[in-house]
Amino acid sequence: MPRWLRRSHVVAPILTVLVLAACSDTSSTASAAGPSGSGTCTPAETPIINFAAYSTPREVYGKIIPEFVSQWKEDHDDQNVIFQESYAGSTTQAANIIAGYEADVVALSLGPDVDEIASAGLITHDWTKEADDGMVSTSVVVFDVRPGNPDGFTDWDDLTADGVEILTPDPASSGGARWNLVSAWGAALRGHAGVGEGDEAGAQALLEGVLGNVVVFDKSARDSIQNFESGIGNVAITYENEVLTAQEAGLEDEAVYPPSSVLIQNPVAVVDANVDKHCVREVAEAFVEFLHTPDVKALYTEVGFLRSTDLAEAQAGGGQFPPIEDLWTVDDLGGWDGLTQELFDDDGIVTQAIAG
Amino acid sequence: MSAVAARDAVPTDLERARRRRRLVRSLLVIGCVGYVAVLLLLPLIGIIRTALEPGVGIVRETLTLPEVRHAFYLTGIITVITVVVTTVFGLIVAWVLVRQRFHGRAVMNALVDLPFALSPVTVGLACVLLFGANGWFNEFFAARGIQIIFAVPAMVLVTIFICVPFTIRELVPVLEEIGLDEEDASRTLGASLWQTFFKVTLPNIRWALGYGVALTTARAIGEIGAVLIVSGLIKGKTETATIFIFTAIEERQTAEAFVVALVLAAISIVLLVLLEAFRRRSEKGRGHTT
Amino acid sequence: MARHLALRGAAILYLGLIVVLPVLAVIREGFAGGLAALREALAIPYAWDAIRLTLITSILAAVINAVMGTALAYVLVRFRFPGRRVLSSVVDLPLAIPTLVTGLMLVSLYGPNGAIGGWLAERGIQVVFTKFAVLLALLVVTLPLVVRQVMPVLQELDPAEEEAASTLGANAWTSFRRVVLPAVRPAVVGGTLLTFARCLGEFGSVVLISGNLPGKTLTAPVFIFQLANQFRPAEAAAVATLLFALAFVLVLVTARLTRRREDA
Repeated sequence: MPRWLRRSHVVAPILTVLVLAACSDTSSTASAAGPSGSGTCTPAETPIINFAAYSTPREVYGKIIPEFVSQWKEDHDDQNVIFQESYAGSTTQAANIIAGYEADVVALSLGPDVDEIASAGLITHDWTKEADDGMVSTSVVVFDVRPGNPDGFTDWDDLTADGVEILTPDPASSGGARWNLVSAWGAALRGHAGVGEGDEAGAQALLEGVLGNVVVFDKSARDSIQNFESGIGNVAITYENEVLTAQEAGLEDEAVYPPSSVLIQNPVAVVDANVDKHCVREVAEAFVEFLHTPDVKALYTEVGFLRSTDLAEAQAGGGQFPPIEDLWTVDDLGGWDGLTQELFDDDGIVTQAIAG
Repeated sequence: MSAVAARDAVPTDLERARRRRRLVRSLLVIGCVGYVAVLLLLPLIGIIRTALEPGVGIVRETLTLPEVRHAFYLTGIITVITVVVTTVFGLIVAWVLVRQRFHGRAVMNALVDLPFALSPVTVGLACVLLFGANGWFNEFFAARGIQIIFAVPAMVLVTIFICVPFTIRELVPVLEEIGLDEEDASRTLGASLWQTFFKVTLPNIRWALGYGVALTTARAIGEIGAVLIVSGLIKGKTETATIFIFTAIEERQTAEAFVVALVLAAISIVLLVLLEAFRRRSEKGRGHTT
Repeated sequence: MARHLALRGAAILYLGLIVVLPVLAVIREGFAGGLAALREALAIPYAWDAIRLTLITSILAAVINAVMGTALAYVLVRFRFPGRRVLSSVVDLPLAIPTLVTGLMLVSLYGPNGAIGGWLAERGIQVVFTKFAVLLALLVVTLPLVVRQVMPVLQELDPAEEEAASTLGANAWTSFRRVVLPAVRPAVVGGTLLTFARCLGEFGSVVLISGNLPGKTLTAPVFIFQLANQFRPAEAAAVATLLFALAFVLVLVTARLTRRREDA
């Protein structure tokens, strides 16, 4: 047998692998970026919507989606719509979408996660210009305490006391964690929790004190509260709706409301690149619109225990929602960009405090 | 006391040594059993208790959930494909490693062991790097409308990667031991390569093969780290049984999570029985005994 | 002849595509920015803590496993007692059971609501969400590794040698040390290295029980998992490459040791 043929069985496969490796396309822009046409695609008979949400509102969307599907059916000649839902941490979802998960609609825990998707070129419209600034639900930060609040927690500085064991999710992996810590930071800067108004050093000391007492950094807000329920720690920093959901499930969680809290605002947005690729823009946009209708807002409140997207209404509360003394948004602190840089970047206050 | 009785009453050095040895033995046995109990037996009982705490009915309730059913179905599909691929190619690789001499043999040997050196999360990461939006092969597959990452194909691929070594590592020693004699004889008598393989080689390696298949099955069913990264967690589409457990714990469905875990544990025990049976038969065939 | 070559080609293609490509992808990504990027990745807060925790718990688990694994192998081969067969099978269970289920098993027993965990909690001792929990999980999943390496060697070893030693006056420990240990040493070392390599990458059992507290109970694999889930694949790849390099060396050495033993 000729030598080249004898060698070929080794060389050919090795060459194949090397060629494949060399053909790697690391400099390409995401092939999913950019709409595929100007609305000239043909929609499928049964549109499929890929819906990616953070983990907390799973039950809520479990109720909302069937409502939308049946309404769409009524209005559109009995056309069925299929939703493929995925629930994971907010930042994880955003990262997956950027990495290639072709979600058509995203419902995340905080704005910056949606902004990341936009920076990757997948969202090309200004999602904050939609109804309610692009937000569909809100909540506030509370302390989940043992029944009767035996430790007497009332505000953030109580959490810095010696021996207090705090549960809160890890800001690196959980959007919810950032809300918690931003709330502490903002409350301090606004003159609560024993810190003078505008006193940055005091606010930093408060954050460091709180973080120093954290015994478990969980993957998500839900993990935090569940670990708390299984007996770990004295207090879990979490959202109001998490506590109310737990109470609804018959558990013993009790909420303590610090006087000053950030308004947790949860965005929903259509992912342009994917809806155009899948030709489901009409349905996707209708769905997002649907989420801003009063009936659905009622569902957010009833099932998800989420507050109104209107600041004044959210502050006033009503029903099972106590009024909040001082309710503010991240914009009052200058917006997420500045906060992320100051608190959560590698050399940010929070990251350094956790590492130290 | 008579002299005889006196002699019997005092333990001799030999008796003392024997008694001490028996004591040491018992301590060793108890220590080892205790170690295994604390690590495995008691937790096994623990999970049975926790899973059945809400009552035995929870098992049927959980297993009728469409999500759970799909999760088991998906685990099954991924496992079957993985087992088929790794067995077929495992046989080829094992054969090549044992029966052929060539320059890159040591390298090939090392490659087979490579998956043992990777954490499953690294495998998942590699898959995202290869097939994700900026990945090496993304353009190729995206242009053809094939979704690899955050869909089932990626989950199959990572599971195959992780399971590559098992069958091969079981077959290589056996193939080496049984040697060429029978196969050579068969070839001399005129049998084709296929006939030799099926009639002579396969019967000799079947127990080792079975062991490798069972091991691969168990590993594929149990995979979590890699599939978690590449699955996208799409309900009813890309959740395996293990992923279901992982997310169910998060979503307050602890009861359901424990039931599914219990079912997986039960399946593992069945696989374990098979593993033991195959191992014993394989060793007997090779002249060892337990 | 051609068929032989075709088989070899198929083997090379299979391994090349399935095994080599992914590893290349990770290494390439990890070193994409050169050594500077690697150093940057490792400068992330908790990166070194996670690696250190993984290394220490893996070494501890390997050492404990070496001792207990050898003891278990000896007990299973040399002694007869009721339930020996069952014990032997139970030892193999971690080979068959999903690591996630192992984690759940440990949580159900040692968690604050568990039989043992609750009892310990009343006395102020916490098992879950501690470094010890990480070690515990690693010990469980690696239980069979040393045992399975040592048992075949012990089976081949003629007990007559040990008996001869004891007849000559050696006590149990001396006869073990002089007769048994030298014979099983390669197997023990091989199994220990295998344990170590396995522990470096363990995820499923650790993630549920450790609490993943950055700087305290966050292990390297969980750290990589978290990085991969954020917008940081490069850093994930850097840490992953480091771990992989270490583990690969171990696996190679183990393979060499086991092969030498088989040839002997």
